[in-house]
Amino acid sequence: MEEAQVVGLLVRRAVGGDAAAWEEIVQRHHRRIYNVCYRFAGDSDNAQDLTQEVFIKMYRTLSSYDSSKGAFMTWVTTITRNLLVDHFRKSKGDRITDSLDSVPSEHEDAQPLSEQIADRGIAPDAAVQSRETREMVHFALQKLSPELREAVILRDLQDMDYREIATALRVPEGTVKSRINRGRAELARLLQRTYKQVI
Amino acid sequence: MLDETKPGMECAEFEALLTDAIDNNNANADAGQLSPARRQSFDAHRRDCAVCGPLFADVQAGQQWLRSLEAVEPPPHLLHNILVATSGVLSTRLPATRRDGRTTPFAERLRERWDSFFTPVAAFVRQPRFAMSFGMIFFSFSLALNVAGVKPKDVAKLDLRPSALRHAYNDAQIKVVQYYDNIRFVYEIESKLRELKRANTPAEPGPAPQKENPKNNTSGQPEQRQDRNYSQEYNQPVLAALRGGVGNASPAVTATTNRRFV
Repeated sequence: MEEAQVVGLLVRRAVGGDAAAWEEIVQRHHRRIYNVCYRFAGDSDNAQDLTQEVFIKMYRTLSSYDSSKGAFMTWVTTITRNLLVDHFRKSKGDRITDSLDSVPSEHEDAQPLSEQIADRGIAPDAAVQSRETREMVHFALQKLSPELREAVILRDLQDMDYREIATALRVPEGTVKSRINRGRAELARLLQRTYKQVI
Repeated sequence: MLDETKPGMECAEFEALLTDAIDNNNANADAGQLSPARRQSFDAHRRDCAVCGPLFADVQAGQQWLRSLEAVEPPPHLLHNILVATSGVLSTRLPATRRDGRTTPFAERLRERWDSFFTPVAAFVRQPRFAMSFGMIFFSFSLALNVAGVKPKDVAKLDLRPSALRHAYNDAQIKVVQYYDNIRFVYEIESKLRELKRANTPAEPGPAPQKENPKNNTSGQPEQRQDRNYSQEYNQPVLAALRGGVGNASPAVTATTNRRFV
């Protein structure tokens, strides 16, 4: 049986009140949704709250899922993305993409982003795969605008294809590619600048 | 981006093909494929264009940085919390494993019950908003105690024995009754009531002769009041302790008690 058929069957059983089927759905998707929320929100507490909210919304609207309109994972990603956008608007307000030398906010002592990252005291000669480096990349990811961040998270961390991302984000595929390019380039410039300054 | 015209390809076209080209570099099967001719044109533009060359390098580097991030493992209680918040059913898998015939030790069952109850509670309480609320409650409570004059060292010296508590209770009661009786307003109201009561009752044959010396009554307060405050002010026979049995002719001692009951 194909994956889509298995998921469709699980959804039908869960809508019919089968707790085991619902648990199976949660078991299959909670890790992925948590990762998306963690990379977008930046911390574990918020990611847990958001993941829980995603599943609560999913549980309430499960009967509205139509397998003919798209994959279940895309539907789940759309719910996740909408909640992330709501969360972002509530917590921080809309934020434009920060350039490297722009002053992010008045509360951060007028430091450029590259200096903020450098101030975290991460060793510059650490291996690419080291934990410190990953933390630095994760921190730099939070500095991207939400539009660019969600695009690169779905593409590079969740391995979704451009069509699925376009469906989830409700934007044309060309826009998705453009955002991914800009997001990757912005992140690289931010990290390269940091390395140069620290070294 | 500037739309610089280069031989074979323009910058806008280069940017449109950028993701496909990078995915091709990574041998991504899902990515769109570039034909060899377009790839050659793309590479030529990348080498020649002062804008698109660095852009390609940045995008590629950014992708590699992002791919270095590993998937994080969600907390163990997250699945449990989601199930409780949605279906309300903790887990259907645990009973299924028990049906296999394995008996679960009592300690393990106890630990499971403990975890199922306290893990979500602990996770709930550890949230920053609740920590902030608890902090506010603590500060409010300590501020209120400070204003009320309660000091922690006084609390430490507090005697909580039953007899001490009873004694403290009696002391407090005595203070309250004394305070109440000594309020001028209460006293005046009681006097008026007594006068009204006396005025409404029929006249008695005559005032009984006072047993005590009127000179002693220097307070100027009504007798009724004194009777209440100085009760049992009459001769009371007190029998001395009998020694030698009932048959002995023990002398009866007459004593006058003048004890004040509050």
